[in-house]
Amino acid sequence: MSAVALAAEIRAGRRRAADVVEERLADIAARDGQFNAFTEVTAARARTEAAAVDAKVAAGQDPGPMAGVPVAVKNLFDLEGITTLAGSKIERDSPPATRDAFLVRQMSAAGAVMLGALNMDEYAYGFTTENAHYGACHNPHDLTRVAGGSSGGSAAAVAGGLVPVTLGSDTNGSIRVPSSLCGIWGIKPTYGRLSRHGGYLFAASFDHLGPFARELADLALAYNVLQGEDLEDPAQCWHGMAPVRLEAEIGGLRIAVADDHFTRGGHAEGYAAVAAVARALGATRRVTIPDAALGRAAAFLITMAEGANLHMPDLRTRPDDFDFATRDRFLAGALLPAHWVQQAQRVRAAYRAKVLRLFDDVDVILAPATPFVAPLIGQEMIEVEGQSIPVRPNLGVYTQPISCIGLPVIAAPIADPVGLGTPGGMPIGVQLIGAPWAEEKLFRVAAALEKLGVCAAPPIRT
Amino acid sequence: MSDFDPGAYAKQAAAAIGLPLHEAHLPGIVMNLGLAAKMAALLQQMPLTPADEAAPVFVAGPRK
Repeated sequence: MSAVALAAEIRAGRRRAADVVEERLADIAARDGQFNAFTEVTAARARTEAAAVDAKVAAGQDPGPMAGVPVAVKNLFDLEGITTLAGSKIERDSPPATRDAFLVRQMSAAGAVMLGALNMDEYAYGFTTENAHYGACHNPHDLTRVAGGSSGGSAAAVAGGLVPVTLGSDTNGSIRVPSSLCGIWGIKPTYGRLSRHGGYLFAASFDHLGPFARELADLALAYNVLQGEDLEDPAQCWHGMAPVRLEAEIGGLRIAVADDHFTRGGHAEGYAAVAAVARALGATRRVTIPDAALGRAAAFLITMAEGANLHMPDLRTRPDDFDFATRDRFLAGALLPAHWVQQAQRVRAAYRAKVLRLFDDVDVILAPATPFVAPLIGQEMIEVEGQSIPVRPNLGVYTQPISCIGLPVIAAPIADPVGLGTPGGMPIGVQLIGAPWAEEKLFRVAAALEKLGVCAAPPIRT
Repeated sequence: MSDFDPGAYAKQAAAAIGLPLHEAHLPGIVMNLGLAAKMAALLQQMPLTPADEAAPVFVAGPRK
């Protein structure tokens, strides 16, 4: 059942939040072993929150728009009383969080019920959630394949039907990549839209937080609830509440397909997904996002440097406690010449200026979300355009140039990947990219694609 | 960048910032520094002027 429908049932007193929680806890206990999405289940908290929702309903009070909706968060979000792991072994030594992250507080205030914390790449530095400390996260559509990352647990928990809504983070693609590989909706809002306070940062220049959902209406519900001014996040750029509605009205919108960088470096299914969406929308125009490869390079270097600086004390004293998949990248990042990093920040600003000019003539740009469907767990290399290239960094080839300049993106899942002819019928998504602060237009296009039957979370076939 | 020796550079730069390097980690560091050098070389392609400021803008304090 969708979050929207479930909240309506609970608000009307036709279902009890306490019953929903028990059903979800039993389901997680029975099935999460297949996915390895949860690293902690907060059963006591969930029962307390559900009881509070039911009490409000019984007393005739408003329990909130997410009344009784079970949710879970990537384990880099602070949950009061629990140590925030951020996918690491090192943080196990840290004290429990004393307060929920801002976005968690927003959902709780709206009546959501917190079921736990979710698996991720260590310190969010990865695209596959093959975590050396907590194990690989398995894709619900094929358990031998990755769920994507770094918010892999957030995507797998939603795609696998354990909870309808989760939160994740996206620094270089970590919401959009797992959304695509698991076949669900995700939004990386404009940089600065949602507060990041209480989330364990990775690379502050690019860190975004946002929701995942199986149903588009649930994504909109969560996105609306998450909005709020927070003076504790220095990067938030508060523009006031901007709630979205699901109106499939796109008549006046100018939609174009990204060419150049976004038509290279991938497999046929990534391009076929974009073509299917463009065809459905009647979008025939093509547009070049200038210097996208340079934007990606700038993001690559700034991420290395900022991530390394954040972890320098542990890199100095306990490097072997890092996941081997992140350790050497952090160590190398600590050594980058200042010139490379400063040049990257200047290129980033110049690149942003060029891209923003595109939005004088275009409202929404379509691009692949990932270059291919989910690779196998443990797969190191993949053949692309006749060359064998490393799988993991290249999963972000189309997302990294966009988050580099903070543009809002909805990752929209193709409803019928089998019909599209993807390998093994595995899911794949498309990026709907907008100008800064134009999330409302993205939701309109997403609603149109859902109405046309082109985009929706595909059912699990196994 | 063709004469860049990531291994030698890594050892010197690590010494400069007081970062102990373990021999076992060096191959991974060298590989990642090599990749970073390629990315840095790409960035040199964009012509910049003194008017091209860096992306982050420092804010002295919240508006009153």
